[in-house]
Amino acid sequence: MRNKRLFILMIGLIVFIAVMGFTLGRTRLTWPEKFLNDAVGTVQGALYRPVGAVVDFFGDLGRLSDVYKENQQLRQTVAQYAQDQATYNFIEAENERLKEELNFTERQKQLYKYRYLIAQVVGSSSNPLDRTIKINLGARDGIKPQMAVTTTDGLVGLVSRVSEFTSTVEPITELDPESPQGVQIAATIFGKEKDSFGIIDSYDAKSGMLQMVKIDENDKMAVGDKVITSGLGNVFPRGIVIGTVVNRQDGDFGLTQKAMVEPAAKFDHLQEVFVVAVPDVNGP
Amino acid sequence: MNMRMNRVVLAGILLVLIENGVLPWLIPSAWSGRLMPHLTFVLAVYVAGYAGRHRAFLFGLGFGLLGDVLYYGSLIGPYAFGMGLIGYAAGLLLERKPLTLAAAMGVTAMGSAALGTIVYMIYRLFRLTPWSYGFSFYWYIAPSLLLEVLIALALYLPVRRFLLKPSSSSSEESAG
Repeated sequence: MRNKRLFILMIGLIVFIAVMGFTLGRTRLTWPEKFLNDAVGTVQGALYRPVGAVVDFFGDLGRLSDVYKENQQLRQTVAQYAQDQATYNFIEAENERLKEELNFTERQKQLYKYRYLIAQVVGSSSNPLDRTIKINLGARDGIKPQMAVTTTDGLVGLVSRVSEFTSTVEPITELDPESPQGVQIAATIFGKEKDSFGIIDSYDAKSGMLQMVKIDENDKMAVGDKVITSGLGNVFPRGIVIGTVVNRQDGDFGLTQKAMVEPAAKFDHLQEVFVVAVPDVNGP
Repeated sequence: MNMRMNRVVLAGILLVLIENGVLPWLIPSAWSGRLMPHLTFVLAVYVAGYAGRHRAFLFGLGFGLLGDVLYYGSLIGPYAFGMGLIGYAAGLLLERKPLTLAAAMGVTAMGSAALGTIVYMIYRLFRLTPWSYGFSFYWYIAPSLLLEVLIALALYLPVRRFLLKPSSSSSEESAG
């Protein structure tokens, strides 16, 4: 009897190791997985959003006193925006004209016309080692793996798996340079796009900071600068806010430098996120 | 000693929805990566106590797998394996004596630590986490364990009230 139990345990262990190894680093889902995801995701959306609304309401009550100050700040920002908008319109028109004159192909012109798809978050995982969130847009809405997901604050994560009506988002807090499918984000500094480059490759849960590596010694990055995605490689959209540089120091081998970046977005209590759809330029 | 398994499965599905849809809102931002209780795991301990180890094994396996598939991060299976195994082990532990509140909370605490350890070891095996075991224990296993014990306390009465067959529950009450 004891032996039988042990035998079953061993078989179970082997089966599970096999299943885990097989599902590791896989991006496509089989139909039972898609079905489960869509069924539960739809029901859960009906629960997650009302609860979020109630929690937000009470949170807002607590923040009423800050509203006045925030309003003043926003007024200043809006005034600034009006000026910037005028400048932007001129520059955009000029840019269009120059593109025409330089015979840009249609593909090159469409390169930076991103679409922002609004998605509602329907749930978040309870696995501390593998935090994911689920959104209510899927393959039907044109979502593909590796699309960037942002909030109004900044970059949240990447779409990792897609089923018909829902998809799973892996937050950038899960970045790990040693993982088998290590995703790395090319980043630069807002306002110094030509002079700065670095790669965001990991997140440290203890300090809550992202790590940016492979920064050149002569780079003009400074503490307090705003880090954005650079969009080099055209897989990832450019110009999405990632966070703020907190410190800068020598890298592990002394050849390059690294910096700690405080993420701009928060990764919990999310309600609405934007999926950034990059025009398909890598196709033939 | 008999549970209404249909209701238990329904309750399990409800707990899955609450675990991923409601609890993330109730946990303060500062603790969001640290307090991650598994409600279905707590229910699996009650299934082990009231319905025996085989059903607890199947319940843990099924709902662990459901959680793994729904929030598929790097791999599928750690929670299915861990919850199945611990459901069975809890069933063995609780087989002899009637399930008291203290026993339920104690087994939940032990099981939660074991589940956290098993899942951590699987992630470590596949090199999916850079954390050391000591840090993981301090960071999320211990806080989640305490919260799960409290949840076990909160679920004790509802489980007895709604998930047990009335005849057995009354006989048990007179016995205990």
